[in-house]
Amino acid sequence: MATKAADNIKGIRSSRRRRESLLHTILTHKIACVGLAIIIGMICMAVFAPFLAPHDPNDQDLYHVLEGPSAKHLLGTDDVGRDLLSRVIYGARISLFIGIFSTFLSALLGCTLGLISGYKGGIADMVIMRITDTFMCLPVMVMLLVIVAVMGPGVQNIIIAISILTWTTFARLMRGQVLYVRELPFVEAAHTAGASEIRIMLNDILPNAMAPIIVAVTITLGRHIMLESIATFLGLGVQPPTPTWGKALRVGYSYLEIVPLYSIAPGLMITLAVLGFNFFGDGLRDALDPRLRGEGSTL
Amino acid sequence: MKFYIAKRLLYALLILFLVSILIFIIARLLPGDPIQAAAMMNMDLADEEIMNDLRAQFGLDRPAHRQYFYWVRDFFIGKWGVSFSSGEPVFGMFLRRIPVTMELFAGYVFWSFLIGFPLGVISALKRNTLLDASITSAAITGISVPVIWEAIVLIYLFAVYFQIFPPSGYVPFSENPVENILCMVMPTFVLGTHTAGMYMRYVRSSLLEVMGQDYIRTARAKGLGEMAVIMRHAAKPAMIPVVTVIGIDFAYVISGTFLVEYMFALPGFGRMGIDAIAARDYPVIQATLLVVALFILMVNLVVDLLYGYLDPRVRLA
Repeated sequence: MATKAADNIKGIRSSRRRRESLLHTILTHKIACVGLAIIIGMICMAVFAPFLAPHDPNDQDLYHVLEGPSAKHLLGTDDVGRDLLSRVIYGARISLFIGIFSTFLSALLGCTLGLISGYKGGIADMVIMRITDTFMCLPVMVMLLVIVAVMGPGVQNIIIAISILTWTTFARLMRGQVLYVRELPFVEAAHTAGASEIRIMLNDILPNAMAPIIVAVTITLGRHIMLESIATFLGLGVQPPTPTWGKALRVGYSYLEIVPLYSIAPGLMITLAVLGFNFFGDGLRDALDPRLRGEGSTL
Repeated sequence: MKFYIAKRLLYALLILFLVSILIFIIARLLPGDPIQAAAMMNMDLADEEIMNDLRAQFGLDRPAHRQYFYWVRDFFIGKWGVSFSSGEPVFGMFLRRIPVTMELFAGYVFWSFLIGFPLGVISALKRNTLLDASITSAAITGISVPVIWEAIVLIYLFAVYFQIFPPSGYVPFSENPVENILCMVMPTFVLGTHTAGMYMRYVRSSLLEVMGQDYIRTARAKGLGEMAVIMRHAAKPAMIPVVTVIGIDFAYVISGTFLVEYMFALPGFGRMGIDAIAARDYPVIQATLLVVALFILMVNLVVDLLYGYLDPRVRLA
């Protein structure tokens, strides 16, 4: 028993050391570095949009509509003469905002339910897991459109809609982790020491179950940005005049033959955002847990 | 094995029951009831008395649990209601559109296996080389590129700029096989690249895991060539986990089908669903969701059974 405990302490120490070298691992992981660079670029774009954008994104100039790239408008203008580059830069704001908030809500809901399900077991586990399975046999993209149709479009509604459809991933992941962690000796030790259940769940189990959750959060961020832009593309997401990539993609698509950049540029931004989070998540996964390679998907 | 099949079947039925309740509730949450929506289309109906008569006629004045019961019963006997926007029976619309979607599925399977599997194997064999890193990055890129954008870029390149393929539309195979293939190349490719990336990564990690097993070392020790080791000893066990994830990912494929059909104007099942959502065509939305859920459950059931057949440990657990 004593040696087991000692082993365990050693395990925790080495895991701490591993965490310190996490940054190192990520920085030597080329794909992760590319991802990190893209993410930082996106965040800078969103934060410093007023300084980076050459024009006001809502300034219309009806004498210069649907123009190709020029010195004044680097990416050209849209159907009401607004500067495309500025709108693409400002578009990062709403996309990141929705991505971050919906991921946060989704992870919070999913992790809470997964934690309860895995720790409590029994009826709670059965009920939560059946609900999870039920949600999982309806495709998120399709359900998102239906739910936004029910709730009406808008930023707030789309965040809620995305969150209530995607928490299942986190719930399953968290449950699996908890089932493993709760059998570890230090949880037993906490029980023996008389710690309350809530305390054990939050202090002992949660921190030790987080690694795959962090990876999932990263990948989910990209995925949610994509979901938002698809919903907006189909006219069910963020409403005009907010500059969004999804809307620009939609309107630009109808002018594809005249000004291809109108739809290709905002689409490239969505792709880059998703790619950045996926690349970074991939590196993070390798750094945190090499066993988990090869999972995760976006659409 | 019999016990395992029965267990999986019962479980699928339970989930189907829960999903149908969920869909029923969501359909009831849609703003306005179906009769009101129909009244908006046709002003002759916009009278309180006529609307109440209609509600009684369609059973909408019954308590919710009985409505649910009738809805499920009607679904299984093929009475899926009538579309509000076109006035056609939904079941007929569905039957007419399903071949297009099936063709799309066949094409996606073709592309994703053609691209995904060889790349996955190469990547695993050349692990940690530049080639592996390039293939892995390409796979993540394939997974990340949004379907709608990939569709737009391909349409611009191959339909507007080079004019090799038609930008959108559908020609049935029976009418003109060549044009049918031409108009399906881009849609199936878009759907295929996304899943090819996923399969490539599954194949890679699964093969790597198998290649580390003792029996592979034994096979090598017998003096077998690398090719024989992979084809005869590693390939089959490496496929087992890949089969399961194909089932899990099927929900993603369905979402992709909806979007691809929308982008390329293919008159399939997904296009019908998206149009119905835009038009608030309740009977079509409800039927679409239930069919999708049924489809995903069936694929997962088949995968589960296949898994149990391939790996004896699963069915005994």
